[in-house]
Amino acid sequence: MKSGTAALTIEGLAKTYDDGTVGLDGLDLEVPAGEFFGLLGPNGAGKTTLINSVCNLIRTTGGRISVFGFEHDSMEARRLVGVAEQDPNLDRFLTVRESLVYHGGYFGMNAADSDRRADEMIDVFDLRAKAHTRTSKLSGGMKRRLLLARALLHEPLLVILDEPTAGVDIELRHDLWSYIRLLHEQGTTILLTTHYLEEAESLCEDIALISAGRIVARDTPEGLKRRFDATSLEQVYLQTVSTSLPAVMAAEEQGADR
Amino acid sequence: MSAADRTAVAAAPAAPAPVYAAPDPARSMRALVLRECRRVTRLWTQTILAPVVSSALFILVFGLSLGSRISDINGFPYDVFIVPGLIAMAMAQAAFSNNSSSLLQARNDRYINDVLASPMQPWRMNFGYMLGGVFRSFAIGLSLVVIALPLTGVPIERPAHLIVAALLLVVLFAALGVVVGIYAQSFDHHSFINNILILPLTFLGGVFYSIEILPSPWQELSHANPIFYMVDAVRYGFLGSSDVNVGLAFGFTALVAIAMVAWAQWLFQTGRKLKP
Repeated sequence: MKSGTAALTIEGLAKTYDDGTVGLDGLDLEVPAGEFFGLLGPNGAGKTTLINSVCNLIRTTGGRISVFGFEHDSMEARRLVGVAEQDPNLDRFLTVRESLVYHGGYFGMNAADSDRRADEMIDVFDLRAKAHTRTSKLSGGMKRRLLLARALLHEPLLVILDEPTAGVDIELRHDLWSYIRLLHEQGTTILLTTHYLEEAESLCEDIALISAGRIVARDTPEGLKRRFDATSLEQVYLQTVSTSLPAVMAAEEQGADR
Repeated sequence: MSAADRTAVAAAPAAPAPVYAAPDPARSMRALVLRECRRVTRLWTQTILAPVVSSALFILVFGLSLGSRISDINGFPYDVFIVPGLIAMAMAQAAFSNNSSSLLQARNDRYINDVLASPMQPWRMNFGYMLGGVFRSFAIGLSLVVIALPLTGVPIERPAHLIVAALLLVVLFAALGVVVGIYAQSFDHHSFINNILILPLTFLGGVFYSIEILPSPWQELSHANPIFYMVDAVRYGFLGSSDVNVGLAFGFTALVAIAMVAWAQWLFQTGRKLKP
């Protein structure tokens, strides 16, 4: 890791899908190291496209991404990032423990470290009773726990959580945030997307609002509320989205006229 | 999480200290190979037992039952003559099917993202997936050799040639499986390639007969079948004789294998069809 650098630096990031859909439109963003950062926006705004770009899961069409000073597609950068995707994507042929151990292997950990970390994560996320169960047999909540355990297994410095508590019961949500908070206190950078605005407000030190593939506002939760003269983050969210959508629609109409 | 676990989490001094060590790429490929082999062994009744039984039935029915009524081919009893081709066919199909279906499942369920996001170079991903098919093929091939040797007495005249021929054949079809697994949108595509392309070409590639007995123009047309050269290379390893020049058979198989591996490598390198 290069000292004194941001956890994530994104410059002019663009992604146009093969069908012409613009996912990201010259997005700029910097997430300082050690920050708990929230990324909010409506469905289709570009949150998951942004996350997939950072994690090398899509082919970007422009711009630059660096992770702790390393190009995002370098082996060094990949090692430093852990991602829990929005929808469970677990290997159905493996058990819970195997999923974790093989993940450690993919990320270059030796067998002893993979085994040790797998057992730690199994205990932390209360997966012990299901350790030897195939992932396809797990309940939704268990799958969510395993996704988080897998994302954290290789001890990433930048943890990306794409709506990690969607469809999760209150108790599990509380427990998950306890652990994520603990990680953050120890210096791990967290990039979170969520539709639960109260979660973002209470957890995140800094929040960016994304719409139509661009960052439309960014500040601390209090700063955003002051700037938009709002009493809650929800009001900020609605104002930001409602003010940015017409502009996008107008731009699209202009494009259609051409 | 239970109350006890919550207490444990809250009190956990065990929260991980970040690891800054550079990744070991060799470990990452080894993990992928082991995962692919794990899938094969976990589904062993489908991946190994079923193709071994079906090929053994071919040897029993066509070789031992009907073989005595068919005259020698190229100086070999029919039950001996068909064994190399049957083993080659089983190994080729296993290599292709294994990799094609494994990658298609990984893409459909998106757990391939765990590999694509990892610090693993594209060539290691390519070889990691390919070696799963190679493992399955050799498990089937060796099983069939063990069954066929006492049943038919098939010789292994040139073991070194046999190993090279089998390796080239398996790598070729393993790479083809990777390519199809990346391009396929459904299991219909995977089955289409297997049933409409590989299986007919294999049957027409001299598994059950020597092309020398075919009348013109079928004999000439058989030379345009790429699988004919691969079956012939494997047969040379077993029987020490072949329908065409041995160098041509091995050279052609190697050339196609290199092309297939390069194609698969290009897909991993560029992310085409793997990443939107």
